[in-house]
Amino acid sequence: MFTNRKRFLSVAIGLALFASAHVKAVEPDSPWADVVAEARGQSVYFNAWGGSERINSYLAWAAEHLSDEYGVTLEHVKVGDIAEIVGQLEAAKLVGRNDKGNVDLMWVNGENFAAMKREALTWGSFATHLPNAQFVKDSPSIKADFSVPVDGLESPWGGAQLVFIHDTATVEEPPRSAQALLNFVKEGGRFTYPAPPAFHGTTFVKQLLIELGAGSEAVTDALANDVTNSDFEAVTAPLWAYLDSLHPMLRGNGKTWPTSGEMTRQLLDDGEIDIALSFNPNEATAAVSGGQLPDTVRTYVFDNGTIGNTHFVTIPWNANAKAAAMVTANFFISAEAQARKADPEFWGEPTVLDVSTLEPTDQALFAGIDLGIWALPIGEGSVLPEPHASWANALETAWLERYSQ
Amino acid sequence: MRPLLYCLAAFVAILFLLPIALGTAGTVLPAFGLVDSLASDDGFATVVGDPRFASAVVLSLRTGVIATVLVLAVTLLTLVCVHDTKLWRLLSASLPPVLAVPHAAIAVGLLFLISPSGAIVRLISPELTGWERPPTDWVVPDAGGWALVIGLVVKETPFLLLAAAAQLSALNVEASLRIGRTLGYSPARCWSRLILPRLYSRIRLTLLIILAFNLTVVDMALLLGPSSPPTLSVMLMSLVNDPDSRGAASAGALLLALLVAGCFLFMWGLERYVGKVATARRRSGARGRGFGVFRFAGKGVVVSLLFACIGSLVLLLMWSFTRRWRFPDALPSEWTLQNWTTRGDILLQPAWTTISIAITVTLASILTAITWLELERHRIAPKIDGIWFLPLLIPQVSLLFGWQAVALWSGIDGHWGTVVYTHWLYTLPYVVLILAVAWRELDPAWGHAAHTLGAGYWTVLWKIRLPMLRRPMCQAAAVAIAVSVAQYLPTLLLGAGRHQTLATELVTSFGGVDRRVIAALAVLQSLLPLLAFVLALIYPRWRQNRLQRDRSPKQTRAIA
Repeated sequence: MFTNRKRFLSVAIGLALFASAHVKAVEPDSPWADVVAEARGQSVYFNAWGGSERINSYLAWAAEHLSDEYGVTLEHVKVGDIAEIVGQLEAAKLVGRNDKGNVDLMWVNGENFAAMKREALTWGSFATHLPNAQFVKDSPSIKADFSVPVDGLESPWGGAQLVFIHDTATVEEPPRSAQALLNFVKEGGRFTYPAPPAFHGTTFVKQLLIELGAGSEAVTDALANDVTNSDFEAVTAPLWAYLDSLHPMLRGNGKTWPTSGEMTRQLLDDGEIDIALSFNPNEATAAVSGGQLPDTVRTYVFDNGTIGNTHFVTIPWNANAKAAAMVTANFFISAEAQARKADPEFWGEPTVLDVSTLEPTDQALFAGIDLGIWALPIGEGSVLPEPHASWANALETAWLERYSQ
Repeated sequence: MRPLLYCLAAFVAILFLLPIALGTAGTVLPAFGLVDSLASDDGFATVVGDPRFASAVVLSLRTGVIATVLVLAVTLLTLVCVHDTKLWRLLSASLPPVLAVPHAAIAVGLLFLISPSGAIVRLISPELTGWERPPTDWVVPDAGGWALVIGLVVKETPFLLLAAAAQLSALNVEASLRIGRTLGYSPARCWSRLILPRLYSRIRLTLLIILAFNLTVVDMALLLGPSSPPTLSVMLMSLVNDPDSRGAASAGALLLALLVAGCFLFMWGLERYVGKVATARRRSGARGRGFGVFRFAGKGVVVSLLFACIGSLVLLLMWSFTRRWRFPDALPSEWTLQNWTTRGDILLQPAWTTISIAITVTLASILTAITWLELERHRIAPKIDGIWFLPLLIPQVSLLFGWQAVALWSGIDGHWGTVVYTHWLYTLPYVVLILAVAWRELDPAWGHAAHTLGAGYWTVLWKIRLPMLRRPMCQAAAVAIAVSVAQYLPTLLLGAGRHQTLATELVTSFGGVDRRVIAALAVLQSLLPLLAFVLALIYPRWRQNRLQRDRSPKQTRAIA
């Protein structure tokens, strides 16, 4: 466990203030009582996207709870793009920093998880050993993350689906397909989307790719597998043709882009665009009650469905406070935490729990949630699976090459 | 005793130069692929091959150079047109507080001001414009980077103007103007022929610092600059955290430093050329005519600049108390205190981190500066004014990428002390240079007199010198706090995400935009340095008043 760290420099600078580590022995399958006992007094540095203050507030609530109940201090390290943290972990692995890492728990999915699994940056199969894991839904998108098997290396946290928000006061009938969207902007409709590699932008591009290739077996097949095995040019040709005609009619003529999905919501409220993107079917309800959108907005999806997925939390191999990280991950999938997360008043995101398996008192927590008329009506629009994790990177690179010069 | 003091001087110098040297090494080595773990491939080829590279370089150059030219032009215009008017007093009074407002906060305020759905359009729509919805003729941030140019001009002009204003008394401007007018030169000619040539050499260094800043700024470019492609420095930020592209980021940082050096060189050439032309024109003896229109335009520029600054701050304050404010309403339709009262979790922690870092850094840099200046006064430490400017002339990106690599490698990244140390590096230049002027001007006779009366070194320092220098020390402290509160990159890169200050919080969460909370964060970030400036103004006066009050009865008694 001990590695010979290059300390001399820090000593020379006079800043080697930290004491040496005391190694603790919690393993992914340690008895839960041991995990809880060891977690007491630990600080969890939870690296999670910090761009939404509702999510930040939710985490502040979780921190209070964890501190009261388990004596665990949850520190939310706000990250712009979690890929950067994956990069830092790779760097730590390369220089052999195998303990006392900066990251105890992190919010990931898709290509970032695929990269972590590939580079062995995850700790172990802890997720299936969490006591609350028994209540988690039995669904394909939870067992495989962008078609990469999860194997207990990450614990589910929430579900998501690409949705669109429009204001009925300006646009009564919004476009419900890629083709309709193109016609909509041609007729002067105001639209833009975040530039990839911003998460919402990449998802929107994937959505277009799937929809424009729908019906072609070859495309469907290519998207379900690693991108290196496909004829990328051929599969993506319709996408670029579509974007080439779409971009000149977007806000800013396709030369300047919002940096996040939240920014499109703000632009919608300002009237600079007509349709906002979100990855949360209930975001509009939360935004209306928070005074961020007018109460004339509604949420909808394309007629043929939109991309949906699950996001997770994972523990890096060199985490400093693994026990407390496990306690936190377990708390995240407790009925109480998930019900609060599902409530649009706080966060408003679909749960990963199978509510029917819960105790009646816990089921009542979910039954009491009012999603409001602004959210995506339950059962509307089918959920399309994500393409294989490798596609995100390939699409982002190709997009940047074409539209970011 | 003396060898020990030499050691102390060496220690301070090393403490200051170490991050610069190591940071440079930490950028240069990976750039050339000389550190296996940090760069596996050819960094230069990768960064130059990046599809965004060429446009990013052009964008950085264009925004940086145009902004700098405008800053200089506006400064000179202000001096010529406003110097002897009533507006000048207002301007001089508002310069320090405007300077104290952090870049990120000004940038956010400007966004609220100049967007198509921003406050200016809201104020005049639909009555004057007929716009029921925001116009689509422009967007902010724009692809051309003009919003960034505006932001840089608004933020950097006060800096140059303050530097120039400080030189005016030394140049004896009034006398020059009088002489010029007696000889029949128009006021504008008086300035351009008699004062500017002498003034320019005194503000050249400040101008270089501004040029380096404009070419390489990250936080303002993230907020006001285009995102895709972004400026070179922002593009490098997207590469630095991935070990696969660390070499590329380092190579890019070196190229950025070269770009800055190239611009310095170009400026030097331009200076010589302009100098020659100006000399020839001076000899022509042409007197020039009046400059009524010109003067009017100059005043207009100054007023709009002040308006942009104050307008931005007022908007931040308004948005932080807004619940609903839709286009095209001129004012919010619903107000609330909730952005402040219910978001304590988001505001308090970063505010506390910012304050604790700022105060520690301020105390540390003032202590260091006093130590150095005292050593210098006793001829133990050399006078190295030029060296202190180094961190301000080297692009932050170029230096900090390397310093971060060194910190990662030695395991000191993410420590509070490391963040403070890096802030100290950027505050010390200002503190030393502010105090140096006062230190050198203070008449040594006071000290000699006290020594004659039997006071030792420490007594003289503590009872005579420091109290007499209270005013510049307060000013230096206020500047140090303002500089520390505004630091974005050092906190971000060295803090490993563990130390969230108002600056990092503001820029990171901007993408998530609850605009109202962003506004509250920006208000808080502006408030701290403004408070420091007010205190720095009031405290020395208050001390002086108290001293006078305390003394007068005793003196009366003594006389009686």
